[in-house]
Amino acid sequence: MQLGDARVGKWPVNLLGFARALRRSGVPMDSAKIALSVQAALAIGLEHKADLKAALACVLINRLEDRAVFHELFDAYFKDPQVANQLLAQMLPTAQGEAVPNKRKPRVNEALTPKRAQDTLKSSDSSKKDQEFELDAAMTASDMARLRQSDFGALGAEEFKLVQRLAMQIPMVLPTYATRRQRASRVGRGLNWPRTFRQALKTEGEFLDLPKRGPQRQALPLMIIVDISGSMERYARLLLAFLHQASSQYTKREVMVFGTELTRLTAIFQRVDPDDMLEGVNETVKDFGAGTLLGRSLNAIKVRYPRALVAKRSIVLLITDGLDTGDSQELEESLQWLKRHCKTLCWLNPLLRFEAYQPLAKGASLLDRYADAKIAIHNLTHLEQLAKALARVVSSKRE
Amino acid sequence: MMSVDGLIVALRAQGYEADRATATSVYLSLALERPLLLEGEPGVGKTELAKALAKVLGRSLLRLQCYDGLELRDALYEWNYAAQMLHLRAAGIQDGQPNSVPSLEQEVYQSKYLIRRPLLQALEAPAPGAVLLIDEVDRADEPFEAFLLEYLGEYQVSIPELGTIKASNKPVTILTSNRTRDLNDAVKRRCLFHWMDYPDRERELSILRSQVPQASEALSEQVSRIVNKLRSAPFADAFSRSPGIAESVEWARALVALNTLVVDPEVIGDTAGILFKQREDVAQLLPMSHALLSQDE
Repeated sequence: MQLGDARVGKWPVNLLGFARALRRSGVPMDSAKIALSVQAALAIGLEHKADLKAALACVLINRLEDRAVFHELFDAYFKDPQVANQLLAQMLPTAQGEAVPNKRKPRVNEALTPKRAQDTLKSSDSSKKDQEFELDAAMTASDMARLRQSDFGALGAEEFKLVQRLAMQIPMVLPTYATRRQRASRVGRGLNWPRTFRQALKTEGEFLDLPKRGPQRQALPLMIIVDISGSMERYARLLLAFLHQASSQYTKREVMVFGTELTRLTAIFQRVDPDDMLEGVNETVKDFGAGTLLGRSLNAIKVRYPRALVAKRSIVLLITDGLDTGDSQELEESLQWLKRHCKTLCWLNPLLRFEAYQPLAKGASLLDRYADAKIAIHNLTHLEQLAKALARVVSSKRE
Repeated sequence: MMSVDGLIVALRAQGYEADRATATSVYLSLALERPLLLEGEPGVGKTELAKALAKVLGRSLLRLQCYDGLELRDALYEWNYAAQMLHLRAAGIQDGQPNSVPSLEQEVYQSKYLIRRPLLQALEAPAPGAVLLIDEVDRADEPFEAFLLEYLGEYQVSIPELGTIKASNKPVTILTSNRTRDLNDAVKRRCLFHWMDYPDRERELSILRSQVPQASEALSEQVSRIVNKLRSAPFADAFSRSPGIAESVEWARALVALNTLVVDPEVIGDTAGILFKQREDVAQLLPMSHALLSQDE
């Protein structure tokens, strides 16, 4: 990028626009960082684009997840001075922007579209606070058609912020178990003998301090089985993204999805960026939006991944509406097997049909009988409800 | 102050091949006087960068290795209790009559009985200062991070008996993390951040050339190609950990020691333990040898 002398004076303003665009795409940003980035830009010099990119990356982002978004936004923003001008212009009250080509992540696109244009598209109340967002139950027809084509499209900026916010505010806290090992702890009950004596050596045998030892606790292994058949297809995308964020801190996590067949998504869930994860799901899942064969899928776990359940200690989280079209004998046998091999079977029914719900359908009644913890919510229009329900059902069987 | 290019050349002279983004972040850390947080997979060269940087700047390298349960006494300072006791006893024997308590206390809490740990050494380092490497800061616990926050903000500590010690020459601070857990946001905000990736083929090749000069050009080329393949899809998914730069350099040295001219599946089988340290990974490597050795990219 060649910036002529005339532009140097506008540079801090350009940078401010870029930083605000980053903030809109979900990267945490504050004014101290922006001020520091101006200093950094001046220190590095504005001649080489690659150097400037590295310098701004150094200052403006500090999470691995934000790198991809930063790179795309930087390339888009500084590729074309026109785009930069338009984004500058957005800071004036009466600005309109052009559409930007659609090869990028949606949240980068949304960040580049001027806020005014976004507002008119959404026609939302402008006095609403930034963070409030409710997923509209009546999705537009194009959204539904898109979902039905098993297009696990990347998340938009608002969806991403919502998912992240929920994952942070309503954490899914798995029960822990005390392992056999002990570790140094400030509030343990036992004395940490080796450390006590080692410290006493330095003070000639005087015990000035008594360090303690407590049990090492570890989160129970988690297995998530998600139904992505016809009835769940509208919600699968956000549901998977939310689960991805909410359980990201648990290393012992297995994720499976099923419709008519079972697909193991554990490796794909290891990917840090939720858009990458959804892309992987898109490639791997073949039976999206099809019928529900719960018994056969649970059986497939037994046959293909028996080791996925760890030592009868796993917590199995089954997210399905229970409307199973398979053989109920097979379902009962596989549920019995599952119960024998896991610690707790939690059933989250996200599509409770009506108030006085009695699980009359065969699949649902079997699940009702075998599940240790059951929670049902009315629908997935409010992801927040789902988050709370998940947290409740998972922690309801704490040790 | 040297430029980014000058920094790259100087680091190369010390045997460290830095890519441009890394050199830029180091340059900024020096220019803006901020600590630099380096994150990346193990074996990617974070600690080596700090060592090379210390040599380039002509500063001493002070290293603080963090671990769970690291306390201030191991990181900052400690009183040499045994020496203090000896001093007291010697003072008692020497004169025969007891000295006054306040003067004894003053003698006992002198600077010479203070054992200085890396953080304090960094503050007191003589000109031009020191390079402070805080290694694997993600393994330390939260109270230590809270203390670090204060330290990194003001570069001063207060020792009750001696007063406040302020840094005469601010140390160049480099923190490394292996991402076993997320660091406190406040710590991250104080630092510049850089993610170190595995090197691409050309950089790996130049690293091999400088570290293993005895290897032939063809062998180095082959090693860098194979290791690069191992790190990228689809091979990378099969392994729990990709080989780092240290592993590839060691492998090249081993191949030279075995007088290998060209890598073949047998050699890969013999030396698999250098590239991967897990039994399952080694088992996965052997069936892939043919695919790895094929010439296509």
